[in-house]
Amino acid sequence: MAAAGNLLTFVSADNVHIEVERDVAERSLLIKNMLEDLGEATEDIPIPNVNEPVLRKVIEWCRHHKNDPPASTEDEDSRRKTTDIDEWDQKFTQVDQEMLFEIILAANYLDIKGLLDVGCKTVANMIKGKSPEEIRKTFNIQNDFTPEEEDQIRRENEWAEDR
Amino acid sequence: MSKRCHIDDPPVLPPPKRPRTIPRDHIDQISSLSDELLIHILSFLPIPSLLVCQQLSRRFHALAGDSELWKKQYYSRWVRPRARRLANARRAFFSRPEIEYSPRVSTWLDHGHLAKEGIATNWKRQCRLKHNWSRGACRVTEIEFPQPPRRQMLVTFCAGIVFTADSDHGLRAWPAEKPEHCLARIALANPPSPSFPAPTAIAAATGGPQQSLVDVTVGFEDGRFNVFTLDTTTLRLGIRFSCVECAGAAITTMASCSPFLLLVSEHKVLTLYETKSGMDGVGGLLAPRLLTSLKADSILEPISLSVRATGPKIIASIVYSFYHIGCGWSLGIQELQFGLDGQQLSSRLATTVDCHYATVSPGSRSRSKMEFRTTSYATGPGGVQNTTPHEPSISHHEPPTSVSYSHPYLLTSHADNTLTVYLVVSTSTSLSVKGCQRLWGHTSSVSAVQVSDRGKAVSVSSRGDDIRIWELESLVSSLGGQKALRDGNSIRISPENRLGRRHDSLGMVLESSHDETNGARSSLVDIPHRLARMRGCIGFDDERVLLLREKEVGTQMLEFYDFT
Repeated sequence: MAAAGNLLTFVSADNVHIEVERDVAERSLLIKNMLEDLGEATEDIPIPNVNEPVLRKVIEWCRHHKNDPPASTEDEDSRRKTTDIDEWDQKFTQVDQEMLFEIILAANYLDIKGLLDVGCKTVANMIKGKSPEEIRKTFNIQNDFTPEEEDQIRRENEWAEDR
Repeated sequence: MSKRCHIDDPPVLPPPKRPRTIPRDHIDQISSLSDELLIHILSFLPIPSLLVCQQLSRRFHALAGDSELWKKQYYSRWVRPRARRLANARRAFFSRPEIEYSPRVSTWLDHGHLAKEGIATNWKRQCRLKHNWSRGACRVTEIEFPQPPRRQMLVTFCAGIVFTADSDHGLRAWPAEKPEHCLARIALANPPSPSFPAPTAIAAATGGPQQSLVDVTVGFEDGRFNVFTLDTTTLRLGIRFSCVECAGAAITTMASCSPFLLLVSEHKVLTLYETKSGMDGVGGLLAPRLLTSLKADSILEPISLSVRATGPKIIASIVYSFYHIGCGWSLGIQELQFGLDGQQLSSRLATTVDCHYATVSPGSRSRSKMEFRTTSYATGPGGVQNTTPHEPSISHHEPPTSVSYSHPYLLTSHADNTLTVYLVVSTSTSLSVKGCQRLWGHTSSVSAVQVSDRGKAVSVSSRGDDIRIWELESLVSSLGGQKALRDGNSIRISPENRLGRRHDSLGMVLESSHDETNGARSSLVDIPHRLARMRGCIGFDDERVLLLREKEVGTQMLEFYDFT
């Protein structure tokens, strides 16, 4: 394996070259597996799905989290229960919705589980505790129910509201 | 080498899954995410938020209703805490593998019954069901029956079907989901005659290997019994056979576990029959085979019968009340074990007397002189009372109002507002009763109790205004250490639950109560408690509780408490 500090070059969708340390890049399982398959790669790595600002953001996250323990074995269940996000990540996700969803898509594409979870938790927190109308407004979701359907679904789903 | 053959290729990443358009302001960006990602987001949400998300749009309705999401919710809300609790309680005895979510329901502790073969479980519905049970939230439907002139109507509940029997209308079957309409009926006597004896006992059980068949046995005042079979797929109710001179006196209590039938007559004779279906050599139906018959003079009402099959054995038990001079009213349990061929293997007896004494800690003995007044009469077993005389921790001065036994749980209800729970330990070598505990929660006399083998119990006050659900499982886990059930683990169910909400949000509930009435004679609001006397808790299953109430004006009322 290459020593830390070994530099790789990512090429974003909008053709911007970004240098990134190998250990940072390997937070992405997609890159990590690819590098393992290829051995020593010196060529530029195109990231065709992600444009420059998003890629920089993703690299920023990976750099901050490069020393995190690898793929946590913490159990699935307690992870789901909490939508707690650590302070640095909270600051990190204070971006507009467009950027947030781009980050989620990039994290999903590059297979960076930690970042994907942070992004999804952030969105989940934007949903939590809101009324349907508030959520629709937050995300500009089109209500495509007929009033009757909406009424029926509201009644079906009333059971846990006052908990 | 094949893995390395493309080593010279430039590193190529998989092509983008989906081209994205550049989002602008006020564009629905969240909906551009794939279903997979949206479900990942939704998986971080609690149940109330999922329900809200279902109201957003058609797409979100489908996504937030995803059964896997709900299955995980069900697991983390109901299975995992319990598994953890049990693991903690049993750590000394069992080394349990790490409790983690597994999509295979059969690996969940005691939840295997939810994974029915070939049927997809509706996990959202299961979540709602559990949620409603945990809060005692339910919908009540009442069905009135005119009181038959001669004898009260008999009711039993099995496999989601309610069976009623009375002289005038014969045996009738009602579906518990829609109890307004009779599924099937059959006359008790053929041809019907007014002199035919009245039914005195009823029992129902699913019919052995064929789960679609329900066997209903009706016992009569002259000691005969008839076995009927309801095919739940074709809804045909037919008589399987009639046994004319069986018990010799009115049958008072019955229990069945196909093909075995246990009954007790007025003359305190306990009989066990095997009622195999099939033909005998000459084309007639096989007559029930008498396996054993016991006579007991000292047993007193209330009694509870149970028959269960455990592997190669059939275990028939009778739980009865008797008066013990030291600790008041106690229970005795006699267990008869049979091989599948009907041969009796053993018969053994245990009583609750020991554990009425056993729960007193030594330190509390010298608290009061009052103790010795009672203990001087104690003729308790084993001479233990002679050397360390102490007052029994539980002493009932009145007979229990009802007894329910579903192995291993044994429950009695008392007029002094309490229930007592015992655990029956039946091993290959011994039978004993352990873990005697009072359960507090009712604020008036308790008239009936029913317990299921999964440790859920329902109890009713004599006026029927206080219905409580008990989860007794924690008792098993604390079996070793006689730990008390301290945390109030009963939940009160009653129509008041709904009435309370009615005041908060009048408009909303009025709508839903409109659905409920729906043409049937069901009502939610005006339950005339003062007129109605509780006749008992007929039974309950995973979805509903069934109570029978008697009105003074001569009608009987079945109440369905529906938790779905």
